[in-house]
Amino acid sequence: MSKPMRDFTRGELEWAPWITPVDADAASQEQLQALKITPSNRAVGAYSLVLAHDPASLAERSPLYNGIMFGARGLPRADRELGAVATSQVNGCSYCASVHAKRFVELTKRPDVMERLYGEGLQAALEPRHRAVTDFSAKLARDPVAMQDSDLAPLRAQGLTDLEILDLVHAVAMFSWANRLMQSLGEPVPA
Amino acid sequence: MSPMSTPDDPDVMDQLTGLAPDSRLGLLRRQRPDVVRHLQRSDAAIFTPPNDGGLSAPERAAAALRVAVLLRDARLQEHYRARVTERGGSQLIASAADLATTDGDPRWRTILGHVDRLTTAPDSAQREHIDALLASGLSPQALIALSQLVAYVNFQARVRAGLRLLGAAHEQADA
Repeated sequence: MSKPMRDFTRGELEWAPWITPVDADAASQEQLQALKITPSNRAVGAYSLVLAHDPASLAERSPLYNGIMFGARGLPRADRELGAVATSQVNGCSYCASVHAKRFVELTKRPDVMERLYGEGLQAALEPRHRAVTDFSAKLARDPVAMQDSDLAPLRAQGLTDLEILDLVHAVAMFSWANRLMQSLGEPVPA
Repeated sequence: MSPMSTPDDPDVMDQLTGLAPDSRLGLLRRQRPDVVRHLQRSDAAIFTPPNDGGLSAPERAAAALRVAVLLRDARLQEHYRARVTERGGSQLIASAADLATTDGDPRWRTILGHVDRLTTAPDSAQREHIDALLASGLSPQALIALSQLVAYVNFQARVRAGLRLLGAAHEQADA
């Protein structure tokens, strides 16, 4: 069940963990490698330090995330961020939604899109491309088994190629992953 | 299935989607080689880690089976049912697959409850659920591993659904 968008905020949010993070000063080699901490890069957030309790999964998840959200060519990054916001709205992850709404606005200079989503929810009146991306993302996030071939049609009508569609699928899937970690291991707090 | 498959072998996602690496869909996937590589390695890190931190390999597969049951994904259920059996965890299948179960010791029931919550109602998760998991005997490592596992299978199901849609579209195009 998705949270009403009125509970969301695009103000600054931080994330407070519910489990004591790994102490970077006492971390194992495996943990440090997974965190990619070097003596010059100590500014690792609480989220990564919590995930570092299981360094094996963290070590793979970080490059997977980067490959999905920053992979060159394919779907424009703004559309990946929109997919992330839609997914986060479905799952009710206000922290993820706020971070990725901000990224979308930085990339597009279109705060009005996020204002509509925040003000009216997933059914907000959107331009056809944003509508297509949002609808596909929300349905895939909510109920992957219910996806039907016809769900691709609006994306095809916007000219998305197979690779672009795959990039969107990956983004939605990755935030289906990320939301669940953020929501179950801590909570958003005002900055 | 070796976690260290060569580029020409079908990886886990290929197998789940029923596609060959050199098929059109397999080649599409491989236009994102970092994603393919780290998706496969994530699978290995989660299901066959170097040390399990107290969450055993059969338990991991059984928890994943439960996610697949919750998602009503028959192919994913089949995949994890086989994995549980391969890892000697057949006795866990009944409780994992039965959404109404009250079987199992308190630790296992707490784990299954968290699998359900994280999959279907992640927004309902609270600090007290984390406290309960730790109090039931899970180490911090096992707690994070469990969280990554459930989140990963949810990820996997969405990738699979998307690939299925793209594959079906190709079949129609070839018809």
